[in-house]
Order: sequence, then C-alpha cells, then structure tokens
Amino acid sequence: MTDRIVGLVILASAIWYGVTAGTYEASFGDPLGPAAFPVMLSVPVAVLSLFLLIRPDANPDWARGAALLRQVAAICILVSYALLLERLGFLFVTFLAVALLGRLLGSQWGKSAVSGAVISLVLFVAFDQVLGLPLPALPEFMS
Amino acid sequence: METLNLLADGFAVALTPTNLMLAVLGCFLGTLIGSLPGLGPVNGVAILIPVAFSLELDPTSALILLSCIYYGCMYGGRISSILLNIPGDEPAIMTTLDGYPMAKAGKASEALAISAVASFIGATFATIGLTLFAPMLASVAIHFGPSDYFALYVMAFATIGGITGANPFKTLIAAFLGLMIAAVGLDPGTGVARFTFDSFHLYDGFDPIVAIVGLFAISEVLMYLEKMDQLQGKMVPLGRAIPKLKDILSGGWAYIRGSVIGFVSGVLPGAGASLGAFLSYIAEQRWSDKDGSFGKGNPKGVAAPEAGNNSASGGALIPMLTLGVPGSGTTAVMLALLISLNIQPGPLLFERQPDIVWGLIAALYIANFVLLLLNVPLISFFTRALSMPQWILMPFVVMVSFMGVYSISHSTFDLLVMVGFGLFGYILRKVGVSLVPIILGLLLGAEMENNLRRALSISDGNFGILFQSPIALALYAITATMLCLSFYLAFRKRRRAGEKSV
Repeated sequence: MTDRIVGLVILASAIWYGVTAGTYEASFGDPLGPAAFPVMLSVPVAVLSLFLLIRPDANPDWARGAALLRQVAAICILVSYALLLERLGFLFVTFLAVALLGRLLGSQWGKSAVSGAVISLVLFVAFDQVLGLPLPALPEFMS
Repeated sequence: METLNLLADGFAVALTPTNLMLAVLGCFLGTLIGSLPGLGPVNGVAILIPVAFSLELDPTSALILLSCIYYGCMYGGRISSILLNIPGDEPAIMTTLDGYPMAKAGKASEALAISAVASFIGATFATIGLTLFAPMLASVAIHFGPSDYFALYVMAFATIGGITGANPFKTLIAAFLGLMIAAVGLDPGTGVARFTFDSFHLYDGFDPIVAIVGLFAISEVLMYLEKMDQLQGKMVPLGRAIPKLKDILSGGWAYIRGSVIGFVSGVLPGAGASLGAFLSYIAEQRWSDKDGSFGKGNPKGVAAPEAGNNSASGGALIPMLTLGVPGSGTTAVMLALLISLNIQPGPLLFERQPDIVWGLIAALYIANFVLLLLNVPLISFFTRALSMPQWILMPFVVMVSFMGVYSISHSTFDLLVMVGFGLFGYILRKVGVSLVPIILGLLLGAEMENNLRRALSISDGNFGILFQSPIALALYAITATMLCLSFYLAFRKRRRAGEKSV
C-alpha cells in the first residue's frame, strides 16, 4: 500500500513537473531551450512510478504511538528552530532546542537543560568566535 | 616515470607543515566521528564540509583536510560495527558478521587491529591503483565529447546501486528525482526561472551540501527516534589492550585478496564500496572457510571485507576524479565537496590543476599511514567515544548541521530546506529508496543538461548526434547490459522470496 501511495504521489508530481516545464520558453538561440530537459525527465519517472503502482513491495513498518509522536515533535522543534533563530538569538534558541531534543531522546529535564546550556555556549564560541561565522547571539529586541 | 615525478610534486604540496597538520587533524577527527554510533562516513563528512569552509583554507588544503576526515571516518566506522554490532554504513555490515562474534569471544582488540591493518592494506592498494590508472583513464577521457559525456551520465544513473539487489525501479526513480530537483533554479543557458514558485530563495537552486546534510544527518535522527526503544547496543569490553602480532598476521592473504576484489568493484561503474565488501567476504568464505567458522568470529572474515571496503572506496575515486562520475555514496559526497570548492573533476583537472590532484593523492598515502599509527595504539581512546549518550550526541549533530548550513548562505530559508530534505530522506529510506542516486542526480544534473545542450548546438538540434560516436555507443551498450543484469537479479530475488513465503 505504501508503495502505491508513493507511486501515485510521484506520478502526480511528474505530470505536474512535465506540464510546468513545458510552459518555459526562451526567445533566443538555444536549440534545446529550458523546457526540453525537464520534460525529458518527467516522462520516464511517470512510467517508472506506474511500476510501483502495479508491483508494490511489502509495506515498511511505520512508526506508531510514542515513536511517531517523538518524530513529529522533533520536526516541530527543528522547524521552529529555523524560524526563530534570527528572531530570538542563537544562544536561547539553541539551548531550548538541544534541551527539548535531549528530552525526546530519553534524558531527564535537568540533564538535558545542562547539555543545552553547554552545547549552545560551546557552539557559539566555536562558530562565532573561532570560525568567524557571525551569529545573532541575542534576541532581536535586546540587541 | 612521469607519474612518479608528478607524485613527488604532490608530496611536496601535501607535506607542507600546514597541510600535514591538517591531515593529522583530519584523520583524528574523522576516526572520532566515524566511531560515534549512528554517524557513518557520509553523515560525518557531510556535516563537516560547511564547517571546513568557514576555516577559509585554500582549495588544496580544504580538500586534504576533508579527504583525511573521510578516510578517518572509514577507519572509525568499523569500531561501532565490531564493538556494538551497529554498522555505520552499508559496506560495514559485512564487517559485523565476523567482527562482532570475535569481540564477544574476548578478541575485540584483535578484531579492531585486524580491521585497522586490513583498512590500511586495502586503502594503500587502492591509492597505488589510483596513482597508476587515473592518469591513464584521464588521457583517454580527454577525447570525450559532449554527447559522450551525456552517455556517461546516463550510464552512471542507470547503473548506480544496480547490482546491489535493491528494487531497481526505485533506484532509477531516485536518480530521476535527483535530476528533477537539480533543475530547480535559474536555467544557466537561458536565464529562465524554473520551478522557483517566484521565490528568489530558489533562484540559485538547492545547494547540494544542504540537501546532503538534510538527507543523511537529519533523516538519521528521525530513524533513531523511531527505533530508540528497541536499540540498546551493549558494548563488548575491549579485552587485551595491545593485540599480539600473531593474531594480526592471521588475516594472511585475506588482506590481499580482499584488496584486489574491492579495488575492481570500486572502479566498476555503480558498484561501489558495498559490493566490494560483499564480494570480498563471499570470495574469502569460498576460499578459506574449511571448518565453517565464518560468521562465528573468523579473523579472515574481518580482514577480507574490511580490506575490500577500503580498497573499493579508493578505487571509486578513479571514475570520480577522471570522469566526474562518482560510483558510491561517499564519493558522491566527495564530489559535492569538490564542486563546492569550485573544482570540476574530469580529465581536464589532471592537466590544468595537477597540484590539486597529486596533492590529494599524496595526502591519501599520508592519511593511511597516520591512520594506521593512530588506530592501533589509540584504539582504547576512540572506543570511549562509543559510550557518549545519544541524548547529547544527536542534538549536537543537529546543531552542527544547522550551523554548517547557516554558514553557507546566512539564510534561515536554507535551514528549512535542510529539515525538508531530512523528512524527505526519512520517507525514502523507509520506502526502500536509496538516497545515493538522488545526491548523484542533484550533483550531476546541471552538467548533464549542459552537455546535452552542447551536443545539440553542435548538431543544430539533431538528436542523432547522441548516437554517433563509438564511445557513446559503447557506453550505451554497457548501460543496457548492466540494466538487464540488475533487473534480472532483482526479479530472481523476488521470485525466490516468493517461493520461500509459499
């Protein structure tokens, strides 16, 4: 079943990709143009995805219950990290993300808070001070 | 003779104090990263590429540092295979077969020493092969025209992972998905924005490094979160601190046989290190398993696949450097590294930038010696890395990945792209789609399209030019043969699996 769903998604994407690529036009002299290569890619993918629909492999075991919750939580943490990094500053966001991820990975609150504090400081010193990557250290409203 | 002179020049580049120091540092860091459970060579190198960039080294030094890290990861990876029974990557699976039983029988340090010596012999053998054969292949490849390159890329995609037994439909789909993703961004030929959804963030397309870090490192975290309840690897105690020479020698000819088999499968298109390790193990078992002790802790069962694995990775550098076509996951990461350093591998690299090529090759020789010296006496130090708890390690890896990616473009958009690729990679891994063809497509897509365009502008739009040169025709013939073989093997495997379940 999983393979059939994946095959269907790929088939739909390939059709969309090919149709979208077909609309690209270049006004001047390139014999191939921007459309031909993507269109050439979309056709075989669409054909190959049909094989997934016709002859799917056995289903993989997807995560359930607690494991699935952990994964969803981890994705949420990672996405929020990316969105909040420049707004809330590196130190605070990294501390929070490391502590929460550590908790997800089965450690206690206290320990993960300590690891969050240590890792955020170490990485800040390593990247900002030693490697010279300017990081937004503090929240926007404080700097 | 000319090769020897060039190699001597290479050593002159690699042996400057800075480069030598970087080589030692790279070997040390690489072994440390490789020995951390859950961080294979691909992940390890991927997350460190952006970090190495921020050191602002010149291209040769950066290349030396990162290839030493890569070689170090390969050495370090076997530590978790042998002591924890957790292979860091696919080729290391064969090492667990006899390495873990050996460790359980109280011969952990012997198994580690044998695998270190095997890695050394295999990798050195492959580096010698690289020195001899790469310039030859480069001088042949100089005659390749655009349509031949197009054929070569077709072959690379059609054959990658072909005979490893995975579902070939899925492998081919993965290659096409990679190529499709590579087309995102401003079209270099005409400047038309493709698949950008009018977002200027996507005008440059997806940075392969961002994609690689997401696909490998972030998906690994998701994998771990799923399996952490069942995974409780217990570390086997090391036993004797310094192994006896006799035990190391018990690998015997297995070292050499493994190296030869590994090297050949490394050079073959699309085969790579997994096949090298697999074939070396199987061949050694046929050759010297008289009493059925393979799989129960036979030293030769550790020596052969480990020599094969390292020899194959070295051999895979030949098509990568001379043709720009990597044959395995780790060489694909190396290619990403070269491209980000603005070095385009291919036959011209040998003519135009010999200092880079030969400096790299010399650095590989040096790395092997340094690694052997580091690995035999310091093994008990590196095994400590295994007891690092995952709740510190995983968040640390995630944050280094974030910072590495952020250092490339200073844009939080790329961080989101990385997480997106992580989720994408996780789903693909669950469904049994290999990630390597995706990376390959992403890396080679632009070049493939460029060569197609060049060929067609020579022929003024006539597609017949693709099938005119004998080189291209030969490459298509090989492609067709390999494709038939991989489909045949896959169907046979499927039928057998079907018979078993009935």
